[in-house]
Amino acid sequence: MAGTAAGGARRSRYAPYLLVAPGVLWLLAFYVLPTLTLAKTSLGPAGTVWYDGYRRAFTDYGEHLLRSFGYSLTATLICIALGYPLAFAIAFRSGRFKNLLLGLVIVPFFTTFLVRTFAWKTILNDGGILVSVLGTLHLLPAEGRLLNTSWAVIGGLTYNFLPFMILPIYVSLEKIDRRLVEAAQDLYCNAQEAFLKVVLPLSLPGVLAGSLLVFIPAAGDFINAELLGSPNQKMLGSVIQGQFLTVRDYPLAASLSFVLMTIITLMVLAYTRALGTEDLA
Amino acid sequence: MKKSGQFDEQELQDLVRRALSRRQFLGRTAMAAGGLALGSSLLSACKGKDAGAGGGAPTAKSVRVSNWPLYIDQKTPADFQAATGIAVEYNEDVNDNDEFFAKIDEPLKRGQSIDRDIVVLTDWMAGRLIKLGYSQPIVDARFPNKANLVDGLRNVGFDPGRAHSVPWLSGMSGIAYNPKKTGRELTSVADLFDPKFKGQITMLTEMRDTVGLIMLGEGKNPEACTVDDAKLACAKIKKYRENGHIRAFTGNDYAEDLAAGNIAVAVAWSGDIQGLSADNPDLRWFAPKEGAMLFSDNMIIPKTSDRPDVASMWMNYCYDPAHSAQIVQAAPYLSPVKGAGLELAKLDPKLAKSELVNPPAELYSRLKVFKWLEEAEETEFNRLFQDAKGA
Repeated sequence: MAGTAAGGARRSRYAPYLLVAPGVLWLLAFYVLPTLTLAKTSLGPAGTVWYDGYRRAFTDYGEHLLRSFGYSLTATLICIALGYPLAFAIAFRSGRFKNLLLGLVIVPFFTTFLVRTFAWKTILNDGGILVSVLGTLHLLPAEGRLLNTSWAVIGGLTYNFLPFMILPIYVSLEKIDRRLVEAAQDLYCNAQEAFLKVVLPLSLPGVLAGSLLVFIPAAGDFINAELLGSPNQKMLGSVIQGQFLTVRDYPLAASLSFVLMTIITLMVLAYTRALGTEDLA
Repeated sequence: MKKSGQFDEQELQDLVRRALSRRQFLGRTAMAAGGLALGSSLLSACKGKDAGAGGGAPTAKSVRVSNWPLYIDQKTPADFQAATGIAVEYNEDVNDNDEFFAKIDEPLKRGQSIDRDIVVLTDWMAGRLIKLGYSQPIVDARFPNKANLVDGLRNVGFDPGRAHSVPWLSGMSGIAYNPKKTGRELTSVADLFDPKFKGQITMLTEMRDTVGLIMLGEGKNPEACTVDDAKLACAKIKKYRENGHIRAFTGNDYAEDLAAGNIAVAVAWSGDIQGLSADNPDLRWFAPKEGAMLFSDNMIIPKTSDRPDVASMWMNYCYDPAHSAQIVQAAPYLSPVKGAGLELAKLDPKLAKSELVNPPAELYSRLKVFKWLEEAEETEFNRLFQDAKGA
């Protein structure tokens, strides 16, 4: 019996490592190694100035960098503005329609990203109803159209990533103990104060998770800028794609990828530090 | 003068020969090797006139083709299957030479399959593939109709004797527009920059087509251009991109924007207009008075294809004058097949007279082929154009 017990102890010593091994191997093969290869590529071939790609990322493509973060931040804010009330309504006010509404949030995912974005091309058409209605109301942007403008790109990003905002906020609202709200009201909070002092702080982890899920992919996205923007709306993702596929300047493309990754990481760190991460999981 | 309704091969050949002879690529060896290779390919072509010659059953039941959109009729692949029992997996997945090359470069470099037996790429890119050793010889025994290739395209600098490539179709890059949106007739490259059309112009992502056309507008000759000419043209493109005049840079996808009325004017390929007219009969295409660009797209068998014989059978089928006419009827470009003009006159007498498939001598004199760029020059031209496009 003692032998069995010792065997069990041995097993339990190695078991955690064995359990994480597949994940670690996966990350090594498909994340760490490619990242290292990319880092090596970004330094350029031997005999060139190693930081040249990084310098050009800021001198030649500073505009694209600013645009990428400007568009993705704007889209994230719009997603919060649209997604929070909707998640709130689904969590607290939808009654027996809750599952139906959640289903409707997810339904667009049944069509691919690309097709959904193409559909917006049709909706925003110069000759379409939307443009003519907005034109009559004098609400069109300066270009006199919607397609191939900054607003189309931001709109596309917002639309495509909105569900990633709604679902985490919904989850964090859903698990709030209703008795806390009642307790706040017992302590003379009106509905507005109860929301600001109890519901909102408890739902912040959802907002944080949603913001990351929207902001990070939006900052690197190029489909929306390619399909809904003009050449003056190109984001860094488009540049990276063009440099990799058309110009085939791999060092520059790799440097741009690293600059994008680094800035996103720094912004995410600052943001999570400000909002706190304990409840993120 | 030529007879009306007859495809004038002689002029196309003269023009292409004139343009291609200026290319320096492989220039020194081409002349020597070309004659030999041409001779042997012609000999083998003469040996087996009837289809199926070349012995033995084909190695596969299907041929996998990558071609550009709007570049074939609906019936030809099915007809080919009915005639030979070989299915055609026809993919319209070439939208841009560079993008397509980026996809196939790595696997071909490693000798891996790209699941294609024929890819169709423009002259300069076809030249790059052959130079890199990414192609394999056409199986002439399965391709007796190779003898139908027009003389002028037989011996090009990038592929002496056409051992590795044959043209699919040739075409012109000019300007397409919607007269309802422009409100007037257009005739020149300068019309692209009319302030009235701000935000309603697209240009092609294909560097040689767009930069060549703008060079012509600036009075430069793309057949003998310098880096300075490219700088001049790209500076102009950049200026009009930055001020919002140019709305997008596109591949074939300019077509939907033009048909939908989102844009008024597009730098466009000649044959696309036929398909577009079905959606919007007003649309027009023209070769600007300053000149237009001429190109050929070439069928190439990737070196990793395991069915070069079947690929050559497809080439053979498409090089039958009647079959080529059927393709041209749907995609009105310039056929490289002798006698296709006569066949087209039977199928569609009106189209056979159109300048899209049968350009008059006056138009020929305005067509230019972009000069061959050496690697360093090509990188510089691409960098300038990428900067002009803004990404």
